Amino acid sequence: MNTITTTQAVNEEIQAFCDLAKNFADKELIKNREEHDHYPFAPLFTGSIQNANEVGFYGINLPAEFGGIGMGDTALASVLENISKEDASMAGIIFTNAAALEIINQASLDADCSKIYETLNAQQSFPLSFHSFEAPGEMELPVVDSKGLISGKINFLVLGGTSPYTIIPARAKDNSISYYLIDLNASGVIKSETVYSIGLHACPGTDVELGKTPAVLIGKAGNAMKYFQAMQSHLSIGAAAISLGIMKGSFRDALQYTKDRFQGGRQIIDWPETRMMLSNMAIEIEVGQSCLAQACSRQDAGEQGWERSARAAAIHVAEMSRRTTNDGVQLLGGCGYMKDYPQEKRMRDAHQALCLLGMSLVRKMDFINGIIAESE
Amino acid sequence: MAKINLTKEEKEHYLSQEPQLKHMLQHIPALQRIAHADKTVIKSIEDAVAIARKFNEKVARPAYKQIDLNICKDPNYLPWDFVKKASDWGFYTLFIPKMFGGQGLHLVALMSWLEELGSVCPGLALTVAAHYLGWGALVTCWNFPLIVRMSRLIKKGEEKGEPLLFCAAATEPDKGTDTEEMDLLEKAMPPGTTSEKVKGGYILNGRKIFITNGHYCTWHLVVSHTDKKNPVGSMVCLLVHKEWKGFSYGRIENKMGQKSGIASELVFEDVFVPDEYVATVIADFPQKPGRTHHMIQQMMVDYIISTARIGVSSLGGVGAARGAYETALDYARTKIVNGIPLIKHQWAQMILAEMYKNVNVARQTVSEANYASGLYGMSSLLNKPLIAMLEKYVPAIVWTLWYPFMTLKLTSSIFRTIIYYWPSWDDFQTQTVASSIAKLTASDIGVLNSQLAMELMGIDGCRHDIGSEKYLRDAKLVNIYEGTNALQKLNIGHNRVFRNMPEVKVFE
Repeated sequence: MNTITTTQAVNEEIQAFCDLAKNFADKELIKNREEHDHYPFAPLFTGSIQNANEVGFYGINLPAEFGGIGMGDTALASVLENISKEDASMAGIIFTNAAALEIINQASLDADCSKIYETLNAQQSFPLSFHSFEAPGEMELPVVDSKGLISGKINFLVLGGTSPYTIIPARAKDNSISYYLIDLNASGVIKSETVYSIGLHACPGTDVELGKTPAVLIGKAGNAMKYFQAMQSHLSIGAAAISLGIMKGSFRDALQYTKDRFQGGRQIIDWPETRMMLSNMAIEIEVGQSCLAQACSRQDAGEQGWERSARAAAIHVAEMSRRTTNDGVQLLGGCGYMKDYPQEKRMRDAHQALCLLGMSLVRKMDFINGIIAESE
Repeated sequence: MAKINLTKEEKEHYLSQEPQLKHMLQHIPALQRIAHADKTVIKSIEDAVAIARKFNEKVARPAYKQIDLNICKDPNYLPWDFVKKASDWGFYTLFIPKMFGGQGLHLVALMSWLEELGSVCPGLALTVAAHYLGWGALVTCWNFPLIVRMSRLIKKGEEKGEPLLFCAAATEPDKGTDTEEMDLLEKAMPPGTTSEKVKGGYILNGRKIFITNGHYCTWHLVVSHTDKKNPVGSMVCLLVHKEWKGFSYGRIENKMGQKSGIASELVFEDVFVPDEYVATVIADFPQKPGRTHHMIQQMMVDYIISTARIGVSSLGGVGAARGAYETALDYARTKIVNGIPLIKHQWAQMILAEMYKNVNVARQTVSEANYASGLYGMSSLLNKPLIAMLEKYVPAIVWTLWYPFMTLKLTSSIFRTIIYYWPSWDDFQTQTVASSIAKLTASDIGVLNSQLAMELMGIDGCRHDIGSEKYLRDAKLVNIYEGTNALQKLNIGHNRVFRNMPEVKVFE
């Protein structure tokens, strides 16, 4: 196949993922969005979580030989963006599962991880739980003893209350940090109530205490930071896609509302201040789209340094998403602040999404430190 | 060194250039007029801050997260315990002047009091602040018989442990911004809440939404219009009791934040309001050169919302910005990031310093607006030297002897003349512009500091149990209520920037 045909085929495949995600969002997420967002005070949308498994959203970056689709970050991003337009909580679940799988994918470059993949497949363990919002440097890491038993606490373990398995880092006596697979139903695991947070309510976090809990080492001992950083680069594309999707949903609904609402005897879209705000939103979406496209195309082309584009996109698009969703609420006035409309949820979700993959300020410092180190 | 000499005329000439000093620094004339000659204002501010801090320690801080969580779980949950506790502490009469039966803390101190309460929980602060909005709206009507009567009822309620709260009701489903600006109201769709004069009173019909504290309140001051086609000039403000026939509560809105300061729907179906509860009828005000009904109605609405803008800027702008800063500072001292405490990272120190600066900038703009309001706004009349002196020196018990005089129609007429006809239009514009600047600045800073705190705290900043994320949810409302920030910009343009440029039509 020549290059052009390959690109066309890939584009068609990506388009198929987009359509799949749009259909899924239309069918599963829009109608009961407010009720889903009411979790943990209403039931979790377990049916939709299960249906996402059936359409293959948890297998996008799972290698094909272990039952997955084995697609790259662009496919994942296209799903996350389209889901996030309607309800970023579901995107958070898909993201969390993909982040956990990516740790194993990275570890499998160092060591044979086929048994881990097989265990997960056999147990129908998807979506996996993961510490999606914290880097190991920000966590009080649990410790692993000489028998491979883990003790300590992991805060805000995403899906820790519902998933059967999680992947967490732990520190050994020699201070080295490794990743482990943990059965969350094993002995010594104590789960808190769902932690109530500002956004992504239906992608809940739980504080989990481990007391001499059995664990399976993933990859090579002491390589946790290497795996995490590689995962962070890949999933930065997904994080940017979530923020972009939230922005797009916010803009679409703001545009419609400003056509429907009248003040001072005319549609509020006819007030120049309103148009300026809408324009700022639209411009930021265009910029976000470009950031994401750049990161995806560099990664798809295997260009050296694509990771930098991905990491910059994750931080920048998430920051724009905070501003855009803030304006998205503002344009609806009092209605934007009420739960009857999805704008306030998007604003809350966007603020939590900025924390995906760890503190954004730490990621910023890491970004410039990398550039400085390279320049020396 | 050469000495610069200015003649008196030169000085006047330069000081009359834009921007005028009095438009820049309200505290200069305020120091001469509000704090005229004694320590009353300073003492009131000190008392207000100390009382609020004690209340935060004993009541608000131990309860606010759970109250917020209860309402997250059930939007219809009403924190009556808090409403009653605030009453036990005398909060609903604290700022009502002694002449009306209240405790008489100076209204200038209200800003500092609300900042303190808001620095713990803007939602709880709103619950008490909105009562003063309702009572303040009644005061703005300067209907003395009603002010005296209602203020005494509030006092009695507090004494009996049965809080009696007030609210002001203006917003309607099709009217948010339109209700606050007469230039918009006259072009807007007809008002949905109307009153019709009948023998012995008015018949009120319509629906109000987003009314803060509605379900807590015994009395509602309702803005209505007698002429749907000409709402400007036909405004009638009516007091409605919660148990009157035809009045009912609608839904409680499910808001993102400031949850304990509930937003209620009020429904009026042929509610008969006796004449004695009519707070004001704009058509009864004589029109004079330089004071049309359009202007008087604008002044009346603006006196209320300008005061409210200062209040919400204090509790949800400065207060939220400060709460977010203090939460982040505490967190940074204990959180370990990459092996060392967060507070030892210099980038974190710079963000905390920026947040501290933001709090101070917000406070300064609100403080300016507060002084402008004291000079030219709703409560300016109470700051006239004679009235201020009487309020300070006459014991509360003696005021009760004066009530027969205060409830004469003539008294209302005199006070309305002083507040609506004496001030220059420039003074009126000064207070409204200052309050718009305050709200615009403080609300954005409230949101900004909340975002900075969350950014600094990562996912911990998003957790409800840690308490930072709530400031963002609460602060965001200040961008919206009491006139969206877009309206504040239009107001600043209309009343200050373009006021001498007839070619610029801000509301067209």
